[in-house]
Amino acid sequence: MILSDYKGANLFDELVDSSGQIRPYYRGVAEKLAGLGPEEMSQKLRSLELLFLKQGITFTVYGDEQGTERVFPFDPFPRVIPASEWEQIEAGLVQRITALNLFLYDVYHEQRIIKDGIVPPEVVFGAAHFRPEFVGVSVPKDAYIHVCGTDLIRDRDGRYLVLEDNGRCPSGVSYVLENRAAMKRVFPQLFNASGVRPVDTYPADLLATLRHIAPHENPNPNVVLLTPGVHNSAYFEHSFLARQMSIEIVEGRDLIALDGFVYMRTTRGLRQVDVIYRRIDDDFLDPQVFRKDSCLGVPGLVDAVRRGNVALANAIGTGVADDKVTYAFVPAMIKYYLCQEPILDQVPTYLAWRDEDKKYILENLPQLVVKAANESGGYGMLIGPTATAAQLEDFRQKVAAQPRNYIAQPVVNFSQHPTLVEGGLEGRHVDLRPFVLWGDNVKVLPGGLTRVALKRGSLVVNSSQGGGSKDTWVLAS
Amino acid sequence: MMLSRVADHQYWMSRQMERAENLARLVRVSEEMLLDDESLGRGTAEEYWNPVLAATAMESVFQGLYPEPRQGDVARFLTLDLRNPDSILACIRQARENARSVRDKISDEMWTEINALNLFVTSAEGMELLERSPQAYYEKIIASSMLFDGITDATLTRDEGWNFLQLGRLLERADMTSRFLDIRAQAQPVAGDSALESLQWGAVLRACSAHAGYRRVHGGEITVERVVDLLLFSNEFPRSVRHCIRRADEVLHDISGTPTGRYSNTCEKITGALLARLSFAGPPEVMARGLHAYIDELQTQLNGAGQAVFESYVLLPGEIDRHFPRGTRPDSLSDWHREQQQQQQQ
Repeated sequence: MILSDYKGANLFDELVDSSGQIRPYYRGVAEKLAGLGPEEMSQKLRSLELLFLKQGITFTVYGDEQGTERVFPFDPFPRVIPASEWEQIEAGLVQRITALNLFLYDVYHEQRIIKDGIVPPEVVFGAAHFRPEFVGVSVPKDAYIHVCGTDLIRDRDGRYLVLEDNGRCPSGVSYVLENRAAMKRVFPQLFNASGVRPVDTYPADLLATLRHIAPHENPNPNVVLLTPGVHNSAYFEHSFLARQMSIEIVEGRDLIALDGFVYMRTTRGLRQVDVIYRRIDDDFLDPQVFRKDSCLGVPGLVDAVRRGNVALANAIGTGVADDKVTYAFVPAMIKYYLCQEPILDQVPTYLAWRDEDKKYILENLPQLVVKAANESGGYGMLIGPTATAAQLEDFRQKVAAQPRNYIAQPVVNFSQHPTLVEGGLEGRHVDLRPFVLWGDNVKVLPGGLTRVALKRGSLVVNSSQGGGSKDTWVLAS
Repeated sequence: MMLSRVADHQYWMSRQMERAENLARLVRVSEEMLLDDESLGRGTAEEYWNPVLAATAMESVFQGLYPEPRQGDVARFLTLDLRNPDSILACIRQARENARSVRDKISDEMWTEINALNLFVTSAEGMELLERSPQAYYEKIIASSMLFDGITDATLTRDEGWNFLQLGRLLERADMTSRFLDIRAQAQPVAGDSALESLQWGAVLRACSAHAGYRRVHGGEITVERVVDLLLFSNEFPRSVRHCIRRADEVLHDISGTPTGRYSNTCEKITGALLARLSFAGPPEVMARGLHAYIDELQTQLNGAGQAVFESYVLLPGEIDRHFPRGTRPDSLSDWHREQQQQQQQ
């Protein structure tokens, strides 16, 4: 592989600094990669692709008529994060999940933060995923978000910024583990003396997190993973995690709620379920309480949760915390609950719901990124600078009609990373989704999912929109 | 202990695979017979296929889809027509869907084989083979199902899942063997032409891979009674109804841990009764009752056994009814029933 032709750009480049020098913590891996001949490299790329295909590491694209399963594109040039940077990210993520869990406890109990005027009531009560039914309901250990995937990007100066929190059912961690396993198999020499921190304790840590919230302090709880089924886009991840944790993967119809308890149907009769790692949104959990037309959920499940006989991870109603409007208030939350300054910065956000912000948004649409407050996966998003006139007009109307539902942010030209494309190495935009577990103690998986926008110049990294991924190396020292 | 849904998927995966195999056997032998008959100027294609459709209980579906059948329509209907929920293709697709749902519970080799068959049946290669040499096409399907069975035997842990997989295959095989007999029972008798009759019974034996087995036990002459003896009552021939039921009964007892000869649930009761019935009777009783009527009763019991497996191990009505008064069962149960009906179209 030839590194000498690689050029930085007018933005932060992960590999080279502004003078074009390779950053010191990349030198080891860059040298080893440069030592691979073109023949050897293409042979390795082929074996990587085969490996992913054979293991069925796939995801599903909705609205795509041709075959539903696709292999998640993978780029072999790992992203490297030095220990000192990681320390700061880790501390920032711990601070953030702590504040979010305190916020969730508060809005579902005393609502002090509203009474004290820090967060306006409309922000909480107007959030699509706020669950008034759960005000006053206690959850085990007062924990709401047990698994959090926070998206980070880096600005021109290399500062890490929080782009959004995913506190409902964040996905992608299976790719983190599979990417690492594939890299170790195909590029073992890269790891030699590299000091990369391992990621493979994640399933055990996740299981411990889930066992931690077992109702009635049950020391030997029956933990299951609830999936919408084989047709869900993340089914591969669901079955991967269930297998890694040696727990049952269940669908709604496998469960039955009786007299305030939840059971699974087995060939030996009904067996009580204590903790459900659910990978189904609130809306579909229980047709008796939420969407009546859902056939994915379990009638009576919410009642069992209220009675404290079964625990859910994540808890019901966490969506009010990862709402894109609430996001704008997270720094204030950190100050309010923790009396600390936020360790991680975030992207300036205009809330269409504030009149002066709305005016600014409507006047500056072509320079902004507009996002629907409650969508994820890159759906419902407008990137002003690259949008067509029709798209701009469409969003102008949407924002004017439903201001609570939209936010806007300046376009952050976030960092790029050398990525193997046809014809050699080119810079592509990358983000980072680390995973945080909130259990007996808080654990941040050293690494996370680095997503790459494979299209040149594209800022959209979502797998559903043509993104790929990379292995992420956090160095021990 | 395993999830009921997983047991259900394992059961239907192997059952659909066995059904596809037997349908392939049926079409292969039927087409071959038809060629003979036509070259001798006997009978019409319609007269020939009607009993086949009747015995597989697909008459009305076929008539609905093909009001004016033309040559080749029945074979197409039985093979590749996805509007027929019991076509070979539909069965393979369903077997593959069931396998996908329990992928982490079966071996990689099983998954690869079922996937390969699913791809083959509609591939350009498959279509070309079906055109050029239908026999070879059907033989390939039969061989793949048998290979799947062999791979299962050689790679799958002997746990509860394996038992459910066996159960699906055995109950389906017993059912299909009895249907092969029923095709001749429902056909117009060929008065006085004993040569033709033995040719036709020979075809039934071939469809069940029973030719060699028959010759070893009964010699060269083919008679109705002896064919019935082999295909219904043989304790040794692996595709006979009695053999399949005996194995199914053993598997059921293995699942529940109840000693054989006793029963702990409805399915064990049904297979036990069926086994006794097949152990203490023979061709004379069948002939006295009438072959078609006898098989009809047999099939009712076999259906009952399948239904009872579902009720005892998937629906668990015993436990759930204790919590719900009649008629107030939760919604999710109706989903189960719907799916069960879809799987059990035949």
